[in-house]
This record gives sequence, C-alpha cells and structure tokens, in this order.
Amino acid sequence: MHKNSSNHTAPAWSLRFLQWYCPDYLLESIEGDLEEQFEQDVSSIGLRKARLQYTKNVFLFFRPGIVLRNKFSLQLFNSSMLQNYWKVAIRNMARRKLYAFINSFGLSIAIACCVLIYLYVMDELSFDQFHENKDRIVRIHSTSFDEEKYKEGDPLPYNTSAWLPGVLADVMQDELAEVEYVTRFNSGTEGVMQHDDKIFKQSTAFVDSGFFRMFSFPVIKGSTHKIFRHTNEAVLTSAVAEKFFGKEDPIGKTFSFFINEKADYVVAAVIEAPPANSSIDFEMILPSSSRPYFENSAKQWNNFSYPTFVQLRKTSDLVTFKPHLDSLIQKYMGPSYDRTRVREKIPAEIKVGEFDYIPLTKIHLAPHISWHKVSDKKYSWILAGIGLLILIIACINYIVLSLATSNARKTEIGVRKVVGARPGQLINQFSFESLLLSFMAMFTGIVLVVTLLPMFNEYTAKSIVLTFGNMSTVLAMMLILTITIGLTAGFYPAFILSSFKPVTILKGKNSARLQTPFAKAMVVLQFTLSTLLIVSSVIMYRQMEYITSKDLGYDADKVIAIETNAGWNRTSDEMIPLFRNALSQERDVISVAGTSASFNRGWSRYGWQVADENKWAYVFRVDEAYLDLFSIELLEGRNFDNTADSSAVIVNEAFVRDMGWTDPLSEYVNWQEDTVGKGSPVIGVMKDYNFLSLESEVEPLFLGSKRPDFGRLTTILVKLGPGKTPEQLSKVEQKWKQTFPDKPFEYSFVDEDVARQYQSHERWMKIMGISTSFAIIISCLGLFGLAGIESLNRVKEVGIRKVMGASVFQLMVLLNRKYIMLAFIAFAIAAPISWWMMKQWLDAFKYRITLSWELFGITLLTGLAIALITVSYHALKAARTNPADTLKYE
Amino acid sequence: MSKEYLGEFEELVLMMVGILQEDAYGNAVVELIKERVGREVNLSAVHVTLYRLEDKGLVKSEMGGATQLRGGRRKRIFKITNAGLAMLQTMKEMRIDLWKLVPQLKMVGI
Repeated sequence: MHKNSSNHTAPAWSLRFLQWYCPDYLLESIEGDLEEQFEQDVSSIGLRKARLQYTKNVFLFFRPGIVLRNKFSLQLFNSSMLQNYWKVAIRNMARRKLYAFINSFGLSIAIACCVLIYLYVMDELSFDQFHENKDRIVRIHSTSFDEEKYKEGDPLPYNTSAWLPGVLADVMQDELAEVEYVTRFNSGTEGVMQHDDKIFKQSTAFVDSGFFRMFSFPVIKGSTHKIFRHTNEAVLTSAVAEKFFGKEDPIGKTFSFFINEKADYVVAAVIEAPPANSSIDFEMILPSSSRPYFENSAKQWNNFSYPTFVQLRKTSDLVTFKPHLDSLIQKYMGPSYDRTRVREKIPAEIKVGEFDYIPLTKIHLAPHISWHKVSDKKYSWILAGIGLLILIIACINYIVLSLATSNARKTEIGVRKVVGARPGQLINQFSFESLLLSFMAMFTGIVLVVTLLPMFNEYTAKSIVLTFGNMSTVLAMMLILTITIGLTAGFYPAFILSSFKPVTILKGKNSARLQTPFAKAMVVLQFTLSTLLIVSSVIMYRQMEYITSKDLGYDADKVIAIETNAGWNRTSDEMIPLFRNALSQERDVISVAGTSASFNRGWSRYGWQVADENKWAYVFRVDEAYLDLFSIELLEGRNFDNTADSSAVIVNEAFVRDMGWTDPLSEYVNWQEDTVGKGSPVIGVMKDYNFLSLESEVEPLFLGSKRPDFGRLTTILVKLGPGKTPEQLSKVEQKWKQTFPDKPFEYSFVDEDVARQYQSHERWMKIMGISTSFAIIISCLGLFGLAGIESLNRVKEVGIRKVMGASVFQLMVLLNRKYIMLAFIAFAIAAPISWWMMKQWLDAFKYRITLSWELFGITLLTGLAIALITVSYHALKAARTNPADTLKYE
Repeated sequence: MSKEYLGEFEELVLMMVGILQEDAYGNAVVELIKERVGREVNLSAVHVTLYRLEDKGLVKSEMGGATQLRGGRRKRIFKITNAGLAMLQTMKEMRIDLWKLVPQLKMVGI
C-alpha cells in the first residue's frame, strides 16, 4: 500500500539533502507535501520541469525557519542517545587501539601542519600592519630600462628598484602638495661603535626626521620630537642601548661611531626595536646627513642609493599623487632620460624610466622590488599545498580504515536498524565518532604545534611566537579545522555504513575484502601524494649535495675573512701588510691576503663601451697573495707583482670569451673609458671559478691590484694550516687585538659564507624533507592498518590455502600483490607530475643535476620497499599462523 | 490573550487554517490561497509560517491522513486554537474600528 502510485520519482539526491537538514519531526509531512505537489506538477508541467521544481522547493525549504528547528531537536536526541554513542565509540576504540591510534595520530600531524602553515601565512600577511599611518605611507621606486632583458625579448624590459636619488626626498617635500612627511631610509650600514671601553661592530640605519612622525615605533626614553635638529643626534633601540650603556640612562650620553671617519653622537632617544614582521628594520638610527658621501650623493639625480618613503596628507588623493610625481620626475630626470635614449638607442615605444609607488603594507609580498626582507607569495602557496596534501592523506587514512573496519560494526548497525534507527541517526552516530576522534587528535595536535614551532621557525626563517593574542585565533582555527576534518573524513564512511541492509547483515553474509573501488582509489591517491613528496625531496637533496660538493675552482678550506672595519679608504689598504707582518711568525698561518669583497660578501660591477658595444664585468681588488691563498689557477701570464703593475689586471676565461680575444696578454681593458690611454694591461688569465652563486654561470671578471679605483682592501683573508681550528683562531685574534686594539675582531669562514648563498634552498629542502617524512609516516600508518584488517579478513582463506599446501612465500605474494599493484599505479601517476615540478625548481640553477630515470627508479624502489615492509608484517603473520588455529572453530 | 503582532502573511495563513478545518495542511493552504486570493505562494513559506504560528500557540498540529499520492507519508494537520480564533477576532474588530475612523471617503468618479 505504501508505494508510490506513479513511476515518476523525485530526484533522490535532493530528497537526501532534505533528509539531511530537515528536523526529523517535520520531515515526514514536508516530504509528503513535496511529493504531493510533485505528482501534481508531473501531470501539469511534465516530469522534467516537475523534478526541477522539486529540487527548487527543497532548496527553498533550506531556510532558517526550518533548519534552526534542528537545534531543538538535536538537543532532545543528544540527551537520550549521546551517552550511548559515547560509550560505543569508546569501546570500539578500546577494542582496536592500534587503529584508533593510527587515525588520531595521523590527524594530529595533519592538524599540526595546517596550524603551523596558518601561522606562517598570517605572519606573512601581518607585515607592516602595525603602523598607525600604514594606509598613507608609500615607498617610491624607479623603473628603468634594462638592455639585457630587451635583447632577450622580454616584453617588459625594465628593472625595478627602491634605491633612488637622494635629492628626490627634498624635492618631493618641497614641490608635491600631497606629501606630508618624507624620509630616506638606508639600513644595514656597519661601523664600529665605541663608548668608554666597549667597542663593537654595529649596524645602523640612516633616516630623516620625518621617519619618526610616519612610523609607529614607540619611544621608550627621551624624545624624537625635535630630533635631528642637531645632526649629531642618534636614536638607539633598547638592545643596543643596553649593550653599550648597560644599566645607566643613555639619554644625553655620547658615543663615537666610525664608518669612514670617526664622529661623535649624542643619544637623543631610545625606541622599541622593530618587530620581526616589519619591513623597516634597524638596530640604531643616525641622521641621513651622517651617511658616508652624503654631501656628494644627496644632491644628485644620477646616484641611486636612497630608498625613500612618503606619507601622504589625510586629505590627499592617491589618484593625483602619481601624475604629480610623474611631472616632477619629468622636470628633473627628463633630460637625462632623453640622453640615455639617444645613447643606448632605445626605441620610442619603450620607456627609459619612470617613478612609481607601492603602499607600505604591500612591500613584503612584492618580490620584484628587491628589499632585504622581501618574501614571495609563492612560498605561502607551496606551504599551503604541502599542508593540504598531508591533510588529504590523513583524511584518506580515516576513511579507508573506517571502511575496512566496518565489518566488525555491521552487526551493530544491523541491530540498531532493526530496533528502529533511522539512517539520519546512524549518520549522526558515525559523524559523532569521527568528531570525537578528531577532537582527540586536536589535543595531540596542540602539543605537536608547541613542540614543533621552534624547528618550524628555524626552517622558515621566521620568529613566530605563540602569544595570548594569537593563541585564541590558533585555537579557533584548530577548532574549525578539527570539525571540518571530523565531518569530511566521517562523511563518506557514515553514509556507507548507514546504508547497509539489516537483513543481509544479520543473516551473516559478511565479506569485507577491500572491494570498494573507492577505497582502492583512495590508497592510490595517498600513495601518489607520498611518492610526489618522496621524489621531490630526493631530487632537492641530490641538487643541494651537488652544489655543496661541486668543485668551485678555488679552495676556501680553513680560510677566514676578517673585516678591517676601517672604512673604504687607505687605512684599510694599509692594514693588510701590517697584519701579514704580525702573523708572519705564526706557524699555523699559511698566508694572508686582502680583497675588496670576500665570497658572498658583496661585489662590484663596471660597465663600459668597446667599439659602441656595451661590456660589463665584475671587479674585485685583491693583493698579490690572493690567487695563491685560494689556489686559483693561472692559465696564462703571471700574478701581480709586489712593486709594479699599478693598473694591471688579471681576467678570467669568461672575460676572454666575452671579448673574443685570441691573445689576451697583449690586450688592454679600457674599463674607465679612458680617451687618452689604452686602459689596464692584461697580465694574466685565470681559470674560471664560481665567484658568484651556482645559480648563475661564471661571469666575466677581472681582478686589479694596486689602484684604489678597483676598490679598497676592506677584508683580510687568513688561511690557516692543518691543526685545531679553535686554537688557531684564538692566536689570530690575539694578534689582531695587539695590532689593531681599536678594531673589533669580526671574522667568518669563507666556506660558510659560500654555503649561506644556498640557505633558502637548503631551508626548502628541509621543509620538503620534514613534510615528506610526515606524509610517509601517515601513509604507512594507514597502509599498515589496512593490511592488518585485510589479512584478518582473509585469515580463513589463508588457513585453507596452507592446508592445501601453499608455502609461506606464496601466501606472502598473494597477500601483497594488490598493494604492489596499487603502489605501481600511484608511481605512474606521480612520476610525471613530480618530474615537471622539479624541472621548475631546478631551473633556478645554472649548474644542476640532470633528471635521470635512474633517480625515479630509486624512488620507485624506495616507495615499494616502504610499502612492502609495512604490509609484510601482517602478511607474514597471517601466513605463518597455524591453520589449525584459524580453522578449528568452524 | 497574546498581544503579539501578527504579520499579514501570518494572518492570511491563519485564516486559511480556520477555513480548511480538518483538512488544513501545507499543500491545501497553498491551494486555497491561490484559489481564493489569487496569490502564488511557495510551499516552504507556508510551512515556515505554520510552524511559527504553532510556536505562538495560534494553531496546533497532529499527524494523520496518509494517502498514496504522498508516497504513504502522513500529513501534518493544523488546527486553529482558541487563541488563534481570538486573535483573528481582535484583528477583525480592530480593523473595523479603525475603518470607522477613516473620514467617509467615497470613490469619486472621474
């Protein structure tokens, strides 16, 4: 009797949707009413439209007036059934401790990963948000034509730079109505700071007085109100104040600061150090006018060395700012742009240059404009991607394991159904169980986050701390994540489990092999993701190994670089022979040399014209001991002579190639475009060595020795002999203190400096490594659980096979065959994807490993081995059990 | 007696429940409104209104009357309560009182 009178049926999934959201006590009548209307519609407007109408109606019923009535009903049912669900869930977990552990631990790791990544992204987005006037502060940058890019066919052949003419700040302040305050900001200049007996190397920033009106760095002591009226005032951060003045009040105290020459400053204020998420960072601040060469550079339009920040008036409009800036630039830079256009033959449709601005809050994520703390959104995406992968893998574990263990639950479901449980209630029950589990996982997750945070900070070069403030958002985030995971992971199993037919279950037709294609697909997906991560991290590891062990063409072993800290002048040059003499008696010191910049400690590059062609090369000034110290090979010619060779240069092979010389020793390098003389004579050719990072090729380079035009010898290199390094170092330090009592002994190992170039790659390799191991752990846990259940289900089959004479080996093959297949499929999917991804990554290096199939082969074998080891435990156990034990109770 | 305010649509639905007597359920109300007032209303809107009226105690409901047409599902039959009747009554009287206060407007021709 209770049968639909017509053959036309309403769309099943909309009905299910209705059943899902509709409170039980209303469901029947609403369903009925809808059905009735549907039948009417079928006869009046046709089946297709009627079905559409039905679905539309179901969605219209999805309104607060209906859905919110659930709360009331949920509470009702909670009080009666919740206890039971709780008890059953706990018993189930207690019965299968291992699987409960696998599930919750996997989810914990996933939750912890996601939270850490969330913290990372939040930190990236929080940059420079703490300034009160952040919406009105912009940084100006210049865009200029780049011939190289133009030749390569780049549609936007420009370079963008935040380093601007020093005079721009003054001119903008005077001539642009929109500008309220303006400041130049140069940071990271190092000098020697002295107060009484305290002498340390100290880095300083140079700014204008507008800086303190624009940016919100709280003043702790003193005042920045009338700062820099006197050009000998200084502002310290509290750390620096404490370092030099200890407990005493620093305000009004005097210290000396030495960059190129010594100058005295009075401490005017102590301010709070900028937080880690500030693009503007400094340890102490001096007025811009104290910056070396300020008098020369600050009035020029062709000296680009001052980053410039502007605060606009409240009333002013950004729309008018840009055109006004444009016309200002046209006024001052126009003629120079025109000259450049003629000289470099820049076509009319290309701009020579222009000035633009970027809001303060966008600086951090604008990697195309170089800045010392800039980052790339790409990293956030990569991390988010990794987090998502791990999350998916963990959820899959839950789904697959719940399906696989469903066998044991079938009887329970059957009984519940017979007693009168509705599908909705069963779905609720299983969702409740998965929520319970994910909440358990959440607590472990919190512990994991707290313990992993220091390591995470190290790898991502962040300094995120869990404070009371962000803890609440983290907890909220965790809660959301937990509920989402609980519901999504529990959703599918809940539906499958609640759809079992009680009759079949209770009759005892139980078979729970891993038959569902869904579960198989999930395992393949999981393995694919893991393989992807394995391949990526193996390749990254190989590349980093290649880079760190590649022969660079020089030997930097046990070479230390000491900064002279005497400035860019003659004093520096003269310190080298002095120190060489001082160390001449030391048996542990092999040689001492000077250079204008040690490896990865800066460089300089010159450009000049040869027969109308633009040439450029890197230039370092070195002394005659340099080549020997680094064992750089001379192919032709000779080293610098101690006495002569004032303008002579030694070039590298790349330089010779670039010039197209056949007899380099008879050539001259006219790098200063001397119209009278021929330039610098070439006295030697050295073998190419990687003086830059391996991300680029060996570029043209020449070394000069005597004339200050090549640079100043600001770094002393000391090569130590065999023996215990710490003792040798203390001897060198002792000599340094004797020879230069007023200079700090600041040294670094050259090979460490070189390695630091690859820091960010190294970091990503570590991050990949960690996430790979997480992914592998979670997948293996899942596979382990799955294999366990599978072998348990086939225990009788195995017993019978054994009785019939199957060997342990045959049984192993039987039980493992499927997983091997799945692993192969996963590999076939993962290999091309990871190959493509890694090709992108490797493109950043000019020197790189080739992606060989051998590499993928190794990964495949590793993956297979891991999978096999994981599943074999159970297979072996099943294959070795005495068949009598498994078969006897039949 | 509830002083609660009754919306226009609520009043309409309440009225229909009163008219339909023993046969007042969702679809019937929709049909009747269409027939009597000539207004196309949505089933879900009627349902929500009925539940709201029930919350206010103006109607009560019970399950009953399964037909084959409904796939064997029972109807939720709504019945107007005394409170509901009183509410309709007061609203009607209030309207008449107010109408009396309106100056004798006449529909004047052109």
